[in-house]
Amino acid sequence: MWFVRFLVSSIGKKFIMAASGLLLFLFLCTHVAGNATIFMSSKVFQSYADELHSHPLIVLVFSLGLLGVFLAHIFVGLYLFYQNRAVSNSRYAVCTRVVKYSFASETMPYTGLFLLVFLVVHVFGFTFSPKTVLISVTVQQLLSNFFYALFYILGFVALTIHLSHGFWSMLQTFGFNHPRYNFLISRLTIVIPLFFFLVFAGIAFYFMTGLGASY
Amino acid sequence: MTSINLTLKIWRQPNNDALGGFETYLLDGIHTDMSFLEMLDVLNEKLTKEGKDPVAFDHDCREGICGMCGAVVDGVAHGPEKEVTLCQLHMRHFHSGDTLVIEPFRSRAYPIKKDLLVDRSALDRIIQAGGYVSVNTGGTPDGNSIPIPSQQAELAMDAAACIGCGACVASCPNGAAMLFTSAKISQLALLPQGQVERKNRALAMVEQMDKEGFGNCTNAKECEAVCPKGISIRNIARMNKEFFKAILTEG
Repeated sequence: MWFVRFLVSSIGKKFIMAASGLLLFLFLCTHVAGNATIFMSSKVFQSYADELHSHPLIVLVFSLGLLGVFLAHIFVGLYLFYQNRAVSNSRYAVCTRVVKYSFASETMPYTGLFLLVFLVVHVFGFTFSPKTVLISVTVQQLLSNFFYALFYILGFVALTIHLSHGFWSMLQTFGFNHPRYNFLISRLTIVIPLFFFLVFAGIAFYFMTGLGASY
Repeated sequence: MTSINLTLKIWRQPNNDALGGFETYLLDGIHTDMSFLEMLDVLNEKLTKEGKDPVAFDHDCREGICGMCGAVVDGVAHGPEKEVTLCQLHMRHFHSGDTLVIEPFRSRAYPIKKDLLVDRSALDRIIQAGGYVSVNTGGTPDGNSIPIPSQQAELAMDAAACIGCGACVASCPNGAAMLFTSAKISQLALLPQGQVERKNRALAMVEQMDKEGFGNCTNAKECEAVCPKGISIRNIARMNKEFFKAILTEG
């Protein structure tokens, strides 16, 4: 079976990481657009949330799909992490990395695992929050807590680091590596994670500092 | 001509089954015009005169084109100089009093034969799996009878510059052989002569690469940085594409 052959091959697993990564990236794009309405007012944000949840079937299908994508990204990622750890740097007495600034690529499994913790906290905090309280109120309540907001900001720092390797890495795996576009890709790999950081962490900062007390 | 004094810590291992360890050697009066391998020759001459076992290491052409030599010097495959093989690394890049740690290329797929000598036949088996073009011989074709755009020819030549030394595997944090395999797939995929077996080649070589126990690529770019021939990871991107296209339509 070609699909099984694809899945067990090293490049196939890279493709799963890249393809699920791309879908998660696209999800983040929609999420960041929705969340940005918080900066307009609680009313706009609440109406966005109400509109979204007025289509329960879409939400259900989308959520299940997203769950599948997350599970693929997490499990294949963990599998590769354990496989690669068996061939760690410790095979040399002296190990010098020639490539500089490889912090993001070296810490991908760790930033990823931190994001998993963040995801669990986030889903239980918001997705499964009591339906009796308006989501715009829950956001303010939870993120007004200094440590809760700080945890969120740390989560977004991890996301930024993760994406600063992941975005380029995804395109490389898909085979996009061309001298004409490499400069653009290298810039996007910095700009896109920073954009996510500014909006997402900005929301946590907005409530943490009390700026959004009467949003 | 200046000379330097060095302390060498070299991995010694009698055979694959034996436990290895570092031995320390003091070497005085090394001319800075010597290559790294000539320095090891001097050491071996000294060891032989003392009645000790010389350090085993691979070497052949000693002009940086055969891909036989290679060791990890101070944690970098082929030593600290960029884009040179170990035989073309010269002692002028070191200073008197330096301590150099010399280890064999290490990988799950490279059994150590002796000291710095490793068995890299796993790379040969990847080539055997598909890194060739089948030519059913007839008369000798005329030169330039197949038009090849200059850019394609250059890109193929860039990939073909790979001498198969295996430093990419040795330097990869995961012990992946993706740079090697991708260069060998690219050099043929880019040329008209390589089109007939293009898809099967990509499938067979990647499958063999996985079978040999090489690791997964995490795009750490170490391979590209230590490659004595400056093979670009653009080849890995090309291999990913080749493999993806092939698996969707073949096999």
